[in-house]
Amino acid sequence: MDVSISQLLYSVLAISATVSVYQLAAVLQNKLDAIWLQPMLVTIVATITILIWQDIAFNQYFNSTWGLNALLEPAVVALGFPLYQHLEKVKKQWKSIVLVLFLGTLFAIVSSFLITMLLVADYSIAVALSLKSVTTPIAIAIVEQLNGNVAITAFAIILAGFFGAIIGPKWLIFIKVTSPKAQGLAIGSASHAIGTTTISNISYEHAAFSSLALIVSAVITAIISPFIISFLALLV
Amino acid sequence: MTLLKNNIINALYSALALLICVLLGRATAYLLPLLPSSLYGLIIFTLALHFRVFNAERIKSSVVWSIKHMGVCFVPAGVGIINHLDLVKQHGIAIILITFSTTFLLLSAVGFLYQQYENSKE
Repeated sequence: MDVSISQLLYSVLAISATVSVYQLAAVLQNKLDAIWLQPMLVTIVATITILIWQDIAFNQYFNSTWGLNALLEPAVVALGFPLYQHLEKVKKQWKSIVLVLFLGTLFAIVSSFLITMLLVADYSIAVALSLKSVTTPIAIAIVEQLNGNVAITAFAIILAGFFGAIIGPKWLIFIKVTSPKAQGLAIGSASHAIGTTTISNISYEHAAFSSLALIVSAVITAIISPFIISFLALLV
Repeated sequence: MTLLKNNIINALYSALALLICVLLGRATAYLLPLLPSSLYGLIIFTLALHFRVFNAERIKSSVVWSIKHMGVCFVPAGVGIINHLDLVKQHGIAIILITFSTTFLLLSAVGFLYQQYENSKE
């Protein structure tokens, strides 16, 4: 009885601390207009600092915040809403969008996996980096399925988000990709939600195509990555 | 007051819709284990909205709100990197370089291909 009550208290404490730090970072990011104050990154760094400083075991923190973790599944399902909203608008370009995203994702998985095996030679990291372009909840589900390193995925996903969000738009104009649709698809497929929220300020078309690419490339990745990765693992 | 009441009812309606899709997704994944159950749930939710099984207007505000705030749910998984600090020390720079370069390859490939498609239509 005592144990479960103290466990409950830990849960309330750990979840409310996590949510408060996250909200604080979100408010600061908005006020200061500073993209690097990304709430997820700030909260992860702050939590790691506190755990090391107070000598708290990760498992204790993780068990106490299972409530947040349990919301991952409905969070993925909720992404069906923006997909439903854009379905009507892209009916005509549907086939070419899927084809471009299929080629892009295939290329991304193969290049990330092979380069990582070449440089680091660690299967769990190679799987983690092959799936870093996909939105977090979906990537975590696939990486777990393929025995990759989930924590490294979560970390690399944030990095990929930042790179694309900060330098992506300028880089695309530099290589003469000027159409809003092409820019949206590129950023959404490479930098998922972080990139999408950043370029959504440019125009509605950017927002629509970016969130479409974020979801469609995640679905394509989930379907093809188990086959590609087990095939590539045989080669190297 | 009635506005608040409506908001609460719509939030419960949305939660129920999501729960139904989560459960259907799990059942599908159990019968056809190709995709993670959450992705089946996503597809079922999209189709259900498309075929007007659920009322999209009632769902909109709560779902947009949860998508905006869902980042907090990924924090525990991300903190897990604490158990792999030795890996990060050993391969951190390689991880950052690989992430950086392959993100740019993907970004350029998708942007370039779709731009070519748009140019060819004109």
